[in-house]
Amino acid sequence: MEKGQVCVKLAGRDAGNKCVIVEVIDKNFVTVDGGVRRKRCNIDHLYPINLKLDIKSGSHEEIAAAFKAQNLMVWETKPKEQKPKPIPKRVEKSKPKPKKAADKKTAKKSTKKADKKSEEKPAKVEAKPAAKETKKEE
Amino acid sequence: MVNGSKKSRSQRRVTVKTPGNRIVTHYRKRKPSHTVCGTCSAKLNGVPRDIPSVIGKMNKSQRVPSRPFGGNLCTRCTRREIIARSQ
Repeated sequence: MEKGQVCVKLAGRDAGNKCVIVEVIDKNFVTVDGGVRRKRCNIDHLYPINLKLDIKSGSHEEIAAAFKAQNLMVWETKPKEQKPKPIPKRVEKSKPKPKKAADKKTAKKSTKKADKKSEEKPAKVEAKPAAKETKKEE
Repeated sequence: MVNGSKKSRSQRRVTVKTPGNRIVTHYRKRKPSHTVCGTCSAKLNGVPRDIPSVIGKMNKSQRVPSRPFGGNLCTRCTRREIIARSQ
């Protein structure tokens, strides 16, 4: 088994596809590329055929060009689409709830909590315009 | 006495331990025969042996090896077939 030898894969999901030996790792394993996923492969799972390619750098582009020249199928992986993550809208959800609860309690109970009311009201006024600003930014 | 149809061996018997810690016999459908290689009729590995309603719930990758001829030929016959086709 030498670099540049074209083989047929006999095992795994790429079985039956043609590939080239890119690198000899040791007496049992080689790296293959071409019509299969580029990966390490046991020599027992390869069947050499009567064809050799001149490979220098061993890059995927070089092998793909050499395979297309021989009219052989080339395995191409699609790059994954990276979707932008949705921005969490925590500001709008969390703030209005405690206000309502505070309103009910203060409405029922006596004037002792009137002081608290006065403290809370300005906080509401501040919170609302802040929420509006965040919407505009989005 | 049990139901007459259960006394025949048309259904297989499974011993089950119930939540109340009793050991009970349940009657279930018999499993179909093993899946077999198309050329050498060896039993195939990686193919589940169960009734179709159970196999239907499995994923595609759990039903059959993802290799070409997976679920039809054994590995030895697959190799022979691929080598024959490459020449």
